[in-house]
Amino acid sequence: MSIMSYNGAAIIAMCGKECVAIASDLRFGINQQQTTAVDMKKIYKIHDHLYVGLSGLATDQATLAQRFKFRHNMYELRESRKMRPETFANLVSTMLYEKRFGPYYAEPIVAGLDATNGYKPFITGMDLIGAMAPTDNFVVCGNNEESLFGVCESMYKPDLEPEELFEVIAQCILAGVNRDCLSGWGGVVHVISKDKVITRTLKGRMD
Amino acid sequence: MADSRSNYSLTTFNSSGELVQIKHALAAVQSGATSLGIRAVNGVVLATEKKLPSTLVDETTVEKIAQLTPEIGMTYSGMGPDFRVLTKKTRKETQVYYRTYHELVPCSQIVRETASVMQEFTQRGGVRPFGVSLLMAGFDSNGPQLYQVDPSGTYFAWKASAIGKNMVNAKTFLEKRYSEDMELEDAIHTAILTLKEGFDGQISAENIEIGIVAEDRKFRVLTSAEVADYLSEVE
Amino acid sequence: MALLASGNVSAAYIPDRDERGGFNFDNVARNEMMSQNGLKFKAAMKTGTTITGVCFKGGVVLGADTRSTNGETVADKNCEKIHYIAPNIYCCGAGTAADTEAVTGMIASALELHRLATKRKSRVVTALTMLKSHLFKYQGHVGAALVLGGVDINGPHLFSVHPHGSSDSLPFATMGSGSLAAMAVFEADFKEDMTEEEAKEIVARSIRAGIFNDLGSGSNVDLCVITADKVDYLRNYECPNERTYVRSKGYDFPPGTTVLNRRNFMTATAATLPVNQIVDIIDGAPEDVASGDAMQTD
Repeated sequence: MSIMSYNGAAIIAMCGKECVAIASDLRFGINQQQTTAVDMKKIYKIHDHLYVGLSGLATDQATLAQRFKFRHNMYELRESRKMRPETFANLVSTMLYEKRFGPYYAEPIVAGLDATNGYKPFITGMDLIGAMAPTDNFVVCGNNEESLFGVCESMYKPDLEPEELFEVIAQCILAGVNRDCLSGWGGVVHVISKDKVITRTLKGRMD
Repeated sequence: MADSRSNYSLTTFNSSGELVQIKHALAAVQSGATSLGIRAVNGVVLATEKKLPSTLVDETTVEKIAQLTPEIGMTYSGMGPDFRVLTKKTRKETQVYYRTYHELVPCSQIVRETASVMQEFTQRGGVRPFGVSLLMAGFDSNGPQLYQVDPSGTYFAWKASAIGKNMVNAKTFLEKRYSEDMELEDAIHTAILTLKEGFDGQISAENIEIGIVAEDRKFRVLTSAEVADYLSEVE
Repeated sequence: MALLASGNVSAAYIPDRDERGGFNFDNVARNEMMSQNGLKFKAAMKTGTTITGVCFKGGVVLGADTRSTNGETVADKNCEKIHYIAPNIYCCGAGTAADTEAVTGMIASALELHRLATKRKSRVVTALTMLKSHLFKYQGHVGAALVLGGVDINGPHLFSVHPHGSSDSLPFATMGSGSLAAMAVFEADFKEDMTEEEAKEIVARSIRAGIFNDLGSGSNVDLCVITADKVDYLRNYECPNERTYVRSKGYDFPPGTTVLNRRNFMTATAATLPVNQIVDIIDGAPEDVASGDAMQTD
């Protein structure tokens, strides 16, 4: 079995009109056999307009989330400003590549709005050693990313308003994880717009 | 001897609480060629004397203003070799920042980083402080900026400042001439006039150096032809 | 008395552990242990790729497809494989995506420092030497296969570099999984001293050969034309694989479609339960924000 499927995860990020959304499932399992927790959010807040989702090995997710937050806090103290999403994504990429020959088994998705550039949406996916793939529509990651790709390819539309974007990303994550044994148990969605972030937890199958 | 390392430190406090090595380093700066900088509303100018020990030196090979990033440059008063070392360290630091964030380092950050290096050399054993004061000019997302860094690692942002041999007179001159709404062109003229005030001998396009950064955020050192043009304008 | 001098001086400036740079091998032993316990390693993202380049009269043209893959899955349909090295030098990368990105970026930084120190334009051979020394040092573990091209004081140059650090100087070069398909085009139609237009045409055609005949390559054609006085980075020069069908109206999910969880179902009664929705207000007054009631579903 692959290390990336040890705990299970499904994460999606999408760009909307002056907003971005990021969603994850809630299952935390061990070794494909037991579901240990059903409320594990795999999305971490960096600041008001910047979130990072981490799939892969749960222990590495936790370590990385702490290290990312630490580096962002140090940057904020040093430079008296918050990181732009793109800057943060580059930092994440650099940190992952540093461990090129002994990587953390986690793949991040960065989603945020760039406050210095009219709150322009930014999302990017990355592999476990920091190869970035920024896009202007959607990115997915997790142990069953094929089925997430499938639903997103057909359901995603550009320039959605926050409420519309929520419905699309919610339907995508729910439909996607229903074809995945290792993730599910509902999900959580953050819709990030200029003046507010709306967080909702989704009801999903419990099997 | 608890910490043998401290024995090697040249910079220890005397009984009056001074670090004399830093004072001596400042003296080295004070005897160096004058440099100055002016922050205008739409840019920054750096200007420095480029007086050479002998007319036999090929002045075209002497560069006293160093480019650090596309939008930041710096000059110095004091010891040339020390400036070279700091330039190398600082340029490397700009690239480290760029590799990490894929973003040009802001002026304030590279100033702080350079000042940290200079501070380190006032505390660690086996080293001496740098015999230079730096003037750093840049134009980033926070607008035009001028910083001065001293051998102790002290740094401040300035509207206009001067360092080196003629610093006191030059600062007095700048205080009179400076205005809050000064434009870059005006600042370049003022910079030349300030240098000219305390200049020993005839000022020329070959014995001064000028660096500018305007709203295009491109720091560059003026060619001697451009300097000659500005010189003729102030005459 | 402790020894001092050089050792101590070079250690004068110790950055934070996090910011020291260079590779970090902390996790290697742990990962090895996990793999011995039967967990398979995760492969990094590859660019199963077609990259090519050709010299013409007065310059070079570099070309690349834009597909990046993760196993059999297309990870990015429009990625950039032509990397900046210097204002007059660019480099196409195939192989492990993170390696091509990192190695070209590193050499770009080193060359910028070199230019600041020497006040001269970078030379292509300098970039080549730095790239291949790095690749050779890592004995092929840095998985970058490159096509390096540029114009310097000695004219146009084109090199291909293999992951172990060997290189060739060529009038035309191809790399990546689509290199055979692309090479067929050059072998058939390459001419010495082509015009810029001819060179662009043959490079675009070689990339198309990769896109359509190699499964690891796909999507669009990127070109980069470098001559003595200008660089044209032609991103998505050709897009021969536009999406053919998009559902005209897409799927519609009216607000309220998605069923939300209820908050704290241990203590509250169903009738009074608010919908589990948290609104973090960053800017503006709370009353500006729509209440969660609109989303109530049952």
